[in-house]
Amino acid sequence: MKSVNQEAIEHDPQQLHEDLHTIWGNPKGLRSLTIVNHTTLGLRFMVTGMVFFLIGGILAMLVRTQLAMPDQNFMSPDIYNQVTTMHGTVMMFLFAIPMLEGLAIYLIPKMIGARDLVCPRLTSLGYFCYLFGGIILTSSLIIEMAPSSGWFMYTPLSSKEFAPDLGSDFWLLGITFVEISAVSAGVELVVSILRTRTQGMALHKMPLFAWYILAMALMIVVGFPPLILGSVLLELERAVGMPFFQIAGGGDPILWQHLFWLFGHPEVYIIFLPAAGIVSTLIPVFAGRPIVGYGWVVAAIAIMGFISFGLWVHHMFTVGIPQLAQAFFSAASMLVAVPTAIQVFVWLATLWLGKPKMKLPMLWVMGFLIIFVCGGLTGVMLALVPFNWQVHDTHFVVAHMHYVLVGGMFFPLIAGLYYWLPLFSGRMPSESLGRWGFWLTFLGFNGTFLIMHWTGLLGMPRRVYTYEAGSGWEIYNLLSSVSSFVLSAGIAMVLLDIALHFRFGKPAKQNPWNADTLEWANSMPPSAYNFVSLPTVETRHPLWDDPNLPHTMAKGMHGLAVASHGRREMWGTDPITGKVREIIHLPGNSWWPLFAAAALAVVCISLLTRVYALAGIFVVIAGVFLLRWSWENGAHPNAAPDAGVKPGDPPLHSRTMDGPGLWAMAVFLIANGSFFLSYLFGWFYLWTVSPEWQMPDTPPLSLLITGIAGGAVLAGCVVVEKLVRGLRQQRDAGLRASLYLAAALGALQVGLAGWALWRADLSPTQTTHDAVMLVGLVYALFHGGLAVILTVLQGMRVGYGYVGAHAPFEPAVVALLWRYNVVTFWLLVGALAILPRVIGG
Amino acid sequence: MRERNGVTSTIISYLSSRWGQRTACLLGTFLLVSLAGCTGDRSILDPAGPAARDVRLIWWVMLGFATLVLIGVTALWLYAFKPRNVERTPAQERRIARRWIIGGGIMLPVASITALLLFGVPAGQQMLTLPMSEPPEVIEVIGHQWWWEVRYPDAEGGEVVTANQLVMPAGEPVDFHVSGADVIHAFWVPRLGGKIDMLPGRVNKIRLQADEPAVFGAQCAELCGVGHAHMQLHVEALPRSEFEAWLTARQEATLSELAVADATYDDARDAFMAHCARCHQVEGVSQGGIGPTLSDVGGRATLGAGVIAMEEGAVSRWLQHHQTLKPGNKMPTHSEIETDTLDALGAWLEALSP
Amino acid sequence: MVRLHFTHPIHLIIGLTLWSLWFVAVYSGLSVACAVAPPSPEAGALTGLNAALGGVSLITAVGLVALAWGSCQVAKQHQGRQRFHATVSAWLYLFSAFGVVFAGMPIISVPPCL
Repeated sequence: MKSVNQEAIEHDPQQLHEDLHTIWGNPKGLRSLTIVNHTTLGLRFMVTGMVFFLIGGILAMLVRTQLAMPDQNFMSPDIYNQVTTMHGTVMMFLFAIPMLEGLAIYLIPKMIGARDLVCPRLTSLGYFCYLFGGIILTSSLIIEMAPSSGWFMYTPLSSKEFAPDLGSDFWLLGITFVEISAVSAGVELVVSILRTRTQGMALHKMPLFAWYILAMALMIVVGFPPLILGSVLLELERAVGMPFFQIAGGGDPILWQHLFWLFGHPEVYIIFLPAAGIVSTLIPVFAGRPIVGYGWVVAAIAIMGFISFGLWVHHMFTVGIPQLAQAFFSAASMLVAVPTAIQVFVWLATLWLGKPKMKLPMLWVMGFLIIFVCGGLTGVMLALVPFNWQVHDTHFVVAHMHYVLVGGMFFPLIAGLYYWLPLFSGRMPSESLGRWGFWLTFLGFNGTFLIMHWTGLLGMPRRVYTYEAGSGWEIYNLLSSVSSFVLSAGIAMVLLDIALHFRFGKPAKQNPWNADTLEWANSMPPSAYNFVSLPTVETRHPLWDDPNLPHTMAKGMHGLAVASHGRREMWGTDPITGKVREIIHLPGNSWWPLFAAAALAVVCISLLTRVYALAGIFVVIAGVFLLRWSWENGAHPNAAPDAGVKPGDPPLHSRTMDGPGLWAMAVFLIANGSFFLSYLFGWFYLWTVSPEWQMPDTPPLSLLITGIAGGAVLAGCVVVEKLVRGLRQQRDAGLRASLYLAAALGALQVGLAGWALWRADLSPTQTTHDAVMLVGLVYALFHGGLAVILTVLQGMRVGYGYVGAHAPFEPAVVALLWRYNVVTFWLLVGALAILPRVIGG
Repeated sequence: MRERNGVTSTIISYLSSRWGQRTACLLGTFLLVSLAGCTGDRSILDPAGPAARDVRLIWWVMLGFATLVLIGVTALWLYAFKPRNVERTPAQERRIARRWIIGGGIMLPVASITALLLFGVPAGQQMLTLPMSEPPEVIEVIGHQWWWEVRYPDAEGGEVVTANQLVMPAGEPVDFHVSGADVIHAFWVPRLGGKIDMLPGRVNKIRLQADEPAVFGAQCAELCGVGHAHMQLHVEALPRSEFEAWLTARQEATLSELAVADATYDDARDAFMAHCARCHQVEGVSQGGIGPTLSDVGGRATLGAGVIAMEEGAVSRWLQHHQTLKPGNKMPTHSEIETDTLDALGAWLEALSP
Repeated sequence: MVRLHFTHPIHLIIGLTLWSLWFVAVYSGLSVACAVAPPSPEAGALTGLNAALGGVSLITAVGLVALAWGSCQVAKQHQGRQRFHATVSAWLYLFSAFGVVFAGMPIISVPPCL
């Protein structure tokens, strides 16, 4: 392939802009609901996140008002518990994660020189799931039926017996719905960063922000499924009475804590990493020099990503886990100090060796540094078990947590918003109003939470709605409450500044901060397709090396400056070297994501109102919508029926065996695998440590029938693998028959597994053993069924001519699911049918 | 007093109101409190036992070190903003950067956390229930929504059961075996050490020691529902001999005798049987097991798990207003019972003070 | 084995993955041992269980140090992208080894099942 960089432009640049706009531009009116563009959806995520932030902030003000004085009756304890629960839930699930995802969705393609994320319709589905889930969850506040068992939903307080209201159901269903959004954004961010960087942007030349987001996205993919599993199990317990978390019957309330914190601790780092990414992006720009120790930062990100999964028990030091096990988690928690310190000193060294300027975004970075280092230091203290035992569940922890989350997420976020504001709007923020906002926020924050450490040391527990006069906590609570209003005034001023700047801000010049990364090569505000032509990047600082790059890009002097084919196109590159491998063509605007999300919302509401028949119908409808969506791919007339590319350009991805869909499937299966491993963890956990676990004398699952079912799925997988190998060699003879054969084998597996389940005659509402077994088998049946449906659809697509030797891509994607099914089914057979026979109860 | 109007009266009435007095008092004592602020009956900075004392030492050392680090890092960052006109070669820059990253980013945290682990882990060991040559006293504490059941299985003469008060021997280690009857609660006596969760279906153990006879505050530390804030425990350490006398006075036979000793309370006992006995136990009178036992309720320091102090008439007041004093608690309101009856009930229960 | 050469970025995560596997093995091994056959509390920290956990930790740490050394050697032979990946991998292997030693230290002094 010759260098894509030297294509002469045959077009008039203005014409090219207009052509690209016809293809990529956003529709108006009702059809704007079909938009899949990452710029628009990223902004929608952020604006929605800000609305939820304001809701969560008002809840926080209510809490501080209640606690300002002792023995107050401003709120009843029940309302207070709802308010604190929803404050935590809204801030964590509806503000922090979606806000940062929105920022990543907006920025990542621009930073890596792509025109969109790799699964645009998935972005749209994620947004609507987030929006609908958030609305369902917050509506519980209006009908005064909000969850009240704490944002961590500990069983049995959140179980049917002790929380008979719908509150817990709102939480479980709403959060699971929102998590669909988080996981889909995670999947596509991973694939986009690995496969769609512009030509030449090798892994070690990516902007650091992309490294941070890559780690965050992978952590979401692995970290959220345990909570999804926990929520499904708890909702099953509440709705049908399967005793997963009840001692009687053989369950264990501590299992919920494990599943929750298995998600909950990584969550803190999921929030911190992108924020640290903002800091690592801003500091070099304002220091006017490249970051020192790029490799050190990459290592620190990797360490944080992994270690954060080994810390979850430090939220559970008081549940009575053996001392030595606690010591492992204690030491692992302390280890996090190392990557954090590496980053802090990398930033320091960069400032030290540069010529830093204290512009408004840097002020917020300084605020971040002070608050976050303080929170990190109390975090190391909390990692020490005996100290943790004393201050756990006191206001000391409340203070620590806000130092880490507000310092580690909110301050960098505002720094980032100020920094990228000119990109969003083309205007500069006001320096003076911004400084007032910063100082009020900074002083208000410290006034609220620094004192709160002390309140906790004096013994004030968390989550008490009141305290008695004479406890010695009065003055500190009053000071915290007064300061919290200063803090809200500061935040209001920042939001006002940002709102006003859209109207009154000075127009920004191109690349106003003299930054080094590609997002500043966009027009301001950016066009729907980001770049007219995609540059070749040789170093980590494309705009410092060639300040003229934005102009040559806008003139179409770089790659893929073609619009005549009518497709949305960008580079698909090698994940390591950044060499161009294929042209990725993206789907256009679509109603299907909205329809699918709306159907899922109906499912969610019918589960809440216990109309299970309706829920069942809409699950099927949502499935049909999603499958209809997947139909418009590859050689379908709405996708890329014509595979023609310019001479010398690489082929379209749907005409190769290595498109990004393969990667998306692989990453999705990692998420799915995390769900499955959490399930296995639950099975073995209950088996070994649950106090009243009952193992039946004769294992209920037939070894013979499940064994034959396992054979069938293995055979089906072999058939699919063979036909994929054929496609790789351009052979598609008998393709349709092979696909149908594989589907038949899959159907045999589903039938046999279903039969084994029926014969087992489980009583899932009586014993936890039977309930867990039922969930495992339903999981296998669902995946077996999914593989059958997808394989049949592939067979039909062969008939339509959408799949074949000319477009061999899709069967390879389905083949991954087959492999996954073989592995998980046999693991299930091993865990549920074989091991109990070998070991016995 | 005649009614007065205007600003003066508003101010005066505000100052004489509960809020006004409190505000004035708070503002007036602000300095005083912030200087002498380590004490308090639930302060971990005012330890009364070896475990809590170790933690306090660890805390002050960690605080000192953390303050130094925070000031140091912030000062370095601010200093880095100072304009300098030094030209450095790339090799010099690399050397300086490496010095910062390896010194500050690796050596500083590694040394700090190693020291912390080496000194910190042994501090927790004494709260473990390791085997001792002379087994310590065992006290069982069971958390209910929203009260405490306290049992002394080792008491000479038979198990002693009480509620919402924890009396323990001073000057010797005591093993607490804790669990939860319904949801998860947490057992925590801040001035002695702790804390440990009270789980349904499991028994957790912790060893604590009070150096001297004294009274300590304690409060449930795990969110357990609407009564969470009103679940306090009165903890009292007594010299060994007094502790044993306290236990003896609560033997089954003694309590039964006490409950029926005075014939003037016969009506109150009848009312109790009619309205209270299904849930509450009074030794020798009733066996209800849903609410806290009341056999020795008159001798306790507080009512309703720390909601009001025990004094004359307190029980009757509690019976009339308990849903306001402790919103959402599981005892039904007694609006259908006449005040006289409640007064009589209260007088009898207050007399149950062994 | 071209793909798994020390210059391949997969090595950025192998060290920490091994750390995680070690962590899971030690934690779940301890939990299962304490649930099935807990050693007597009188034995303190000098139990067969502590010895087994310590042995596993030592082997893992030595293996990680060896991998770090290997990466380091390879890094010296390359430039650019390959050198970057191998160097960062070497540091990550070294950190993982430190992580095993550090998080495993309590095995020496803490009784296992209390």
